[in-house]
Amino acid sequence: MPSVITMEHVDKEYKGTHAVKDLSLHIEEGTVTALLGPNGAGKTTTVSMLLGLQKPTRGQIRILGGSPDQPEARQSVGAMLQDISVIDRLTVRETMDLFRSYYVNPLPLAHLLAISGLEKEQNKFATSLSGGQKRRLDFALAMAGDPKILYLDEPTVGMDVGSRQLFWESVRAMAGKGRTIILTTHYLDEADSIADRIIVINQGKVIADGTPAEIKAAQGHKMITFTAGEQLRPDSLEGLPGIADTVWSGRKVKLTSTDTDQLIRTLIQHNLDIRDIEISAGGLEDAFQTLIQGDAK
Amino acid sequence: MMKSMIAQCKAEILRTVRNRRFIVFSIVMPVMFYFIFTSTLGDIKVGGVDWKAYYLMSMTAFGVIGASINTLSVRFAQERTQGWVRLIRITPLPNGSYVLSKILSQSVINLGTIVFMFLIGHFAKGIDLTLGEWITCGLWIWIGVLPFMALGTLLGTFKSVEVVQVAANIVYMSLSVLGGLWMPLTTMPKIMQDIAQYLPSYRFGQGAWNVLGGVGPDWTGIAILAAYALIFMILSTYILKRQEAV
Repeated sequence: MPSVITMEHVDKEYKGTHAVKDLSLHIEEGTVTALLGPNGAGKTTTVSMLLGLQKPTRGQIRILGGSPDQPEARQSVGAMLQDISVIDRLTVRETMDLFRSYYVNPLPLAHLLAISGLEKEQNKFATSLSGGQKRRLDFALAMAGDPKILYLDEPTVGMDVGSRQLFWESVRAMAGKGRTIILTTHYLDEADSIADRIIVINQGKVIADGTPAEIKAAQGHKMITFTAGEQLRPDSLEGLPGIADTVWSGRKVKLTSTDTDQLIRTLIQHNLDIRDIEISAGGLEDAFQTLIQGDAK
Repeated sequence: MMKSMIAQCKAEILRTVRNRRFIVFSIVMPVMFYFIFTSTLGDIKVGGVDWKAYYLMSMTAFGVIGASINTLSVRFAQERTQGWVRLIRITPLPNGSYVLSKILSQSVINLGTIVFMFLIGHFAKGIDLTLGEWITCGLWIWIGVLPFMALGTLLGTFKSVEVVQVAANIVYMSLSVLGGLWMPLTTMPKIMQDIAQYLPSYRFGQGAWNVLGGVGPDWTGIAILAAYALIFMILSTYILKRQEAV
């Protein structure tokens, strides 16, 4: 598949900080890619550069074969950015029509109202919408030009559960039609369920890149959690073979291990005072935490 | 990209007309002042010109100055600080269209204000100018407001909307008073009259008053207005370039 977004050895420095370091990426057409990373990892800076809002200090960025700020790219790209307020004294419908006028082949108004679920609110002033509705309006504006590439920067911040569900349903429907989607999010379960590729960024560098399953498997960690009884003291667990990490939260204990089958046998054999035992494969959340911590060491 | 330009202008005009501040400061206040001061002062003459006609030009100028400075400054500041400008930048709308559409729509609004004020003067106060005088005065006020639009753009580069709102009000009120738009300069002390010679607001009003007095165009006044427009435009372009450089 052709690469629609290319970053080659991109560096971004400003005000003395090195926000992005030697970042190289190839994103293929029709994929949904999630950029994950802790706050300040360089996700938003990366998206800003891909959109041509910021220029890289070094390196090259190509969008659909050209520079991000040229007219062809502008026609084919849509984005939900963070911290953008809605425009005052215009209705939902007027705002959508304004954005539709910028593009050569806009999506029909009815379609935009449907994917944002704002049919009933179309004649309300945009400023009177709730936080979640405003975010859905932002989504409609991002989709106004029927973009080939869609950037979603923390799209569900401020959405309630209902808005969030509706939103991901719409995004999934969009992704099916050959659109390339790049998203950043704090909600890892969202990335896990929608993305077919996850790129973990920390301190401006890529530290992991693969499908959600690969990222999870690469960490190879499974977990045993249980409730510790009165008799169990932290030192009772010390020295047991096969425990990679132990975390106490009150009486709740989480053990991480590469071989939970062997570890559970050990725990039983030692006849420890534990109950409510659960064994689970680590989620994306755990893989992510392990990656970030591993990178910091 | 005519389509996007027209849509952008249409949206801007809708937003202005729906703004209560605009209605109060640019329509209601000038009309009120006009009725109050033409009724209380009666049939006097200022510099050989009928007061009712003289003051109609003053208040029309006052109204369009207010609308231009207030609307443009607040809107630019608001849209820049609230991220709207960033969102527009990633659309295909060309960079210049955004600013140009704001200036053009303000011009349409100003033209409406001028016609409205002139109709009030003609029908409510029986002001009888020749068609040529109406058109010359109207065109002068319509085009001569350009330095004040540039001033609005300059004030719009401030980063706080609240500060811009207060600053715009202070600037336009003091320019109007000191420029003799509220009360003719001849009622002011000599020192104020001397200062007013260098103010764009006085030169702006003077152009229209001169038409009523049958005096030809004052090139010094035109030069001063053009200089102000140029300085404000250069300053705001410079400041914006610096803010955008990341």
